[in-house]
Amino acid sequence: MRQSTRRWTRTLALVAAFAVAGGAFAARTARAGEEDDLQRQIETQRSGVPDLERLDELHAAGDEIVLLKSWLDEAWSLRAKHEYDDVREVLDRALAQAELIRQKIAASKLRAQADKREAALQETRHKIDVTRKALSDTTIKKKALEASSK
Amino acid sequence: MKIARLSGLGCGALVAALVVNAAGCATPPRPRELDAYEALKRSSNTTEASKRSPDLVTSSDKLGAKAHDEWESNDLEESRRDAIMAQIKLKTALALTEQDKLKAKIEKLSGDQAASQEELASVSKDLSAETENLTLLQKYLDARKTADADKARLSLQMTADQQKADAEQQRLSQQLATEQKIAAAQLSLHTAETVDANKYASGEYRAATDMLDKAQAELKDAAFAAAQASADVAKKNADQAVELSKPQYEQAEETSQNHVRDEALAHDAAGIPGVTVRIERRGELQRLVLAASDLFTKKSTALATGHDDVMDSLAALIKKYPSYPVQVVGHTDTRGKSGELLALSAARSQSVFSALVARGVEARRLMTSGMGGDEPIADNHSTAGRAKNNRVEIVFLYH
Repeated sequence: MRQSTRRWTRTLALVAAFAVAGGAFAARTARAGEEDDLQRQIETQRSGVPDLERLDELHAAGDEIVLLKSWLDEAWSLRAKHEYDDVREVLDRALAQAELIRQKIAASKLRAQADKREAALQETRHKIDVTRKALSDTTIKKKALEASSK
Repeated sequence: MKIARLSGLGCGALVAALVVNAAGCATPPRPRELDAYEALKRSSNTTEASKRSPDLVTSSDKLGAKAHDEWESNDLEESRRDAIMAQIKLKTALALTEQDKLKAKIEKLSGDQAASQEELASVSKDLSAETENLTLLQKYLDARKTADADKARLSLQMTADQQKADAEQQRLSQQLATEQKIAAAQLSLHTAETVDANKYASGEYRAATDMLDKAQAELKDAAFAAAQASADVAKKNADQAVELSKPQYEQAEETSQNHVRDEALAHDAAGIPGVTVRIERRGELQRLVLAASDLFTKKSTALATGHDDVMDSLAALIKKYPSYPVQVVGHTDTRGKSGELLALSAARSQSVFSALVARGVEARRLMTSGMGGDEPIADNHSTAGRAKNNRVEIVFLYH
């Protein structure tokens, strides 16, 4: 009985030991997967930064891009410290920042387009003014010639 | 979180340890990010952004409120993070709103641009038309100016030409007048030549010739006034020469003509059969005498028959030379009384007169007379002589 109990205890201890070891292994495996996932996310976002910089032809989101880069660096740093919650939070922020950058770039391009059109409109109106002035001058000159020809 | 936890622990310790020192539990300084978020919210028109992106704005508001609460809860790190996130979402919403506004603006600008382009096209068209009109008007005025200038130039040229033509006409007129005067002088000189002025008025003729030569020389030198004066003098001299020469010339000419006529008369008279012809000269007078014998028998006063041919020839001769006065003179021999012989000779001349008038001779040209036997042409002692003395003479008196 005692032997049986001892055996049982040993088995239990062994199982427990295996369980602990397995749990530790599982936890380490899970942590490693999360770390890889976060690293992938960081790298994915980092790889998107040059595209944003290229898109930002008018440098309308220069500060935001700098901030985005710093946040990605911060995320990388936090990942190295295994502070995954903070990493996720920073990555969420970086995602939102990237979206903000895209919208600001889109807005800047629209603004540039609007400015261009406005300039074109101003130029056209200026041409109209100049043409009207020329028309007026021509009419005056013609009337003067008509008067002098009588 | 650590800071918040530490802060919470510190506060608890402080509250427990130092009740009087409440400064540690007072609201901490607001995070910069929260200030920035709230400043952004204040300065932005979030109403439009809420309509455009309600989720983003709502999320931003919630995050902002949360950050505010966290700050008040002294959870500064969380407050800072949420404030940043709230800013990002609000900025994104604002950027989207701005995009919409810009799109609307671009659309409006496109519409305005199209309208402006249309207006510009219209004004440009008007300007082109007006410029074209002006150009045409300018061309017209230039053309008119050129035409006026041409007209003025032509007018001046015409005036100059007219003056030149007038001068030429005047010169020609003077030349013509001079030539006419010279021609008149030449005519007068020619007239003078026809009356042999060089013979009868040689001084005047020579003077006229000299003056005419002078006039022609002056005409050649275009000295018209002098030429006209010289021509006038030449004409005057020539006229004087004509005046002086004409009577002498006419007399000479008449004499010459009479001589010719006289010779013709004598020649014709010599051709009449049964008639003897002789020319008698008495002083300056000369006469042609045609003596016809045997026209009468014995003491008869009537023409004997057989003498019609003689009478016809005599009548024809008298009519052929109508300028001569003609005498019909009867003659007898000396046998008989003088008074009877005169009457007989006169009657016989009257018979011949009648015969001639009967043949068409004008009576007024004829003068009859009887000389009796006073002018015998032959010996009255012989029969033949007496026959010759019984005669009728037709006497043509020369001028």
